[in-house]
Amino acid sequence: MASFRSVSPERAGRAGGPDVLDKKRVAGGFRPIPTRGAMKSRKRREKVANVLCFLLLIFFSVICIFPIWWIFRSSLMNNAELFLWPPRFIPKHWLFSNYARTLKFFPFWTYLKNTMTIIVPSVLAGTITATMVGYAFARLRFRGKHFFFTLCIGSMFLPTMVTLIPLYIMWTRFFHLSNSYLPLILPYFCGGGAFNIFLIRQFICTIPRELDEAATIDGAGYFRILVSIIVPAIKSAMIVVALLLFTTMWNDLLQQIIYINTSEKFTIAIGLSQFKGSLKSDWSAIMCATCMSFLPGILFYLMGQKYFVEGIVMTGMKN
Amino acid sequence: MVKKPGQRTGRRLMSSESRTAHLCMIPAYVGLVVLTYVPLLAVFGLSLFKWEGVGTPTWVGAANYVRLFTRDPYFIDSVKATVLYALLSVFGSMIWSMVIALLLNRRIPARGFFRAIFYLPYVLPAMAVYLGWSWLYESNFGLFNYILEQFGIKKIMFLGSSSAVLPSLALIAVWLSGNLIVIFLAGLQNVPRVYHEAADIDGANSWQRFWHVTVPCMTPIIFYNILMSLITNLQVVTPALALTNGGPGNSSCFMSYLMYLYAFRNGKLSYACAISFTFFLIIAVFTGILFATSKSWTYYEGGPN
Repeated sequence: MASFRSVSPERAGRAGGPDVLDKKRVAGGFRPIPTRGAMKSRKRREKVANVLCFLLLIFFSVICIFPIWWIFRSSLMNNAELFLWPPRFIPKHWLFSNYARTLKFFPFWTYLKNTMTIIVPSVLAGTITATMVGYAFARLRFRGKHFFFTLCIGSMFLPTMVTLIPLYIMWTRFFHLSNSYLPLILPYFCGGGAFNIFLIRQFICTIPRELDEAATIDGAGYFRILVSIIVPAIKSAMIVVALLLFTTMWNDLLQQIIYINTSEKFTIAIGLSQFKGSLKSDWSAIMCATCMSFLPGILFYLMGQKYFVEGIVMTGMKN
Repeated sequence: MVKKPGQRTGRRLMSSESRTAHLCMIPAYVGLVVLTYVPLLAVFGLSLFKWEGVGTPTWVGAANYVRLFTRDPYFIDSVKATVLYALLSVFGSMIWSMVIALLLNRRIPARGFFRAIFYLPYVLPAMAVYLGWSWLYESNFGLFNYILEQFGIKKIMFLGSSSAVLPSLALIAVWLSGNLIVIFLAGLQNVPRVYHEAADIDGANSWQRFWHVTVPCMTPIIFYNILMSLITNLQVVTPALALTNGGPGNSSCFMSYLMYLYAFRNGKLSYACAISFTFFLIIAVFTGILFATSKSWTYYEGGPN
């Protein structure tokens, strides 16, 4: 890292070398400032760079958001307008009636209800059990902790695809659960996946131990500490886990297809995949259905956005 | 990895501690044993039998694997498609998310707003995303062909030609990589300012600062992001299920999709297990390579641990 060729001895001497520099001294004006003019031009350069970056960001975010806009504007067009060439970027008439039309043969509310029947218990169970396990890993001492922690981390690298068939056999042959939501829900009662356990553990590790110890002195047991000290402190992490579980389940088309067979039990994901096959080229209806399915995710995200970003940051950092 | 426990006093406390711990760990014990490691053994065990879901399995040894590698018309193609797709997606999303994170890391207005926009695709349901993009990719009236036309390029069958389908799907994966941006951004904000200032004093320009300060400090984050997105993208199955059905030809017949077809469409459960286990080995090899090389290119503050 310290491989710059242009270190003149006098400069290095003046600054005391990079090793002895610390934040305080830099902030206290210890940094050698060459001349006022050079400083000014530098500041100007930085300003120009910032403006350029801002413009670039606007450009990229337009690119990023444009597919969503395109899907939305397509949902408001009739099929004639949809197949115009060159295409219109903004629909001439905003046909919100398309949505009513689509709802007639795309039972969105049933699908949404079914999806929620799977998601709500799984998310709750996953979040709670992940917190329990994370707490044990972060704070408690017990036999085999290291071993199980290694197993747990190891299972992060084990794709769900690999265990799919044995689990399918287990649920359908041993427990006779076919066309049931239970095989989709029950696994989330087991900690909600190694990644989420790990995330919670990392969060708990950042809470000062003194808090626990103070509570212990006050006579609190370990469960009491978990409920009244740890949980309030890691609320944001728990919300993140809930949101991550939500998106995981939301996206898990394969398992839903495997375990659900009858159309009255379809989830949004299966419903959409069937819908496309049955409609072929009624693109405006397909786009309506797509937009409707976007909504719950976006709402959930907006509700927990602050925590979401914070928590993902944590997982990336504490590795 | 595990912190040293604080001082504890008395035996009673200790036993209550471990009792609580085991109680808390019950979900993990069940999950690790029943849902993770036993199925892993079972997948390998089952792959050594011939079993189509009914009757008793018959022992065939490695025959499933032999057939997989020598006579299966789809398997080798599916491995190629999966690996190519994963590499394209990982490469693309690394560059995209790094660039966006670097831009977001500057002192500019409305950062939170921009971050929300770039993150948004990640929270959309995958099925709907692929459905929506299939309209963007539509070969006659889609947005992308319109854009190409503006640049004087002939229309492309994005999802309908075997050479374009994987890059097209990888592009969607790049678009969906908002979580990588957030992680990169956090990493960038954690690069100690002092290093930048020290480099500044040493006369480094901004490119040198990026290359010799930012990048080395970011290597653990880069490693983490590559690892996570590689594992995610190797498991790809939804685009095949939702859009392409493995086509055109077998060009998007990913391993997971092939496994799904064999197991749940043709009932060849034990043969599909052989694919699953091979898939597991491939992922193990990739993560192994990544971990083995990481020592030489990641930099941890305070030395490697």
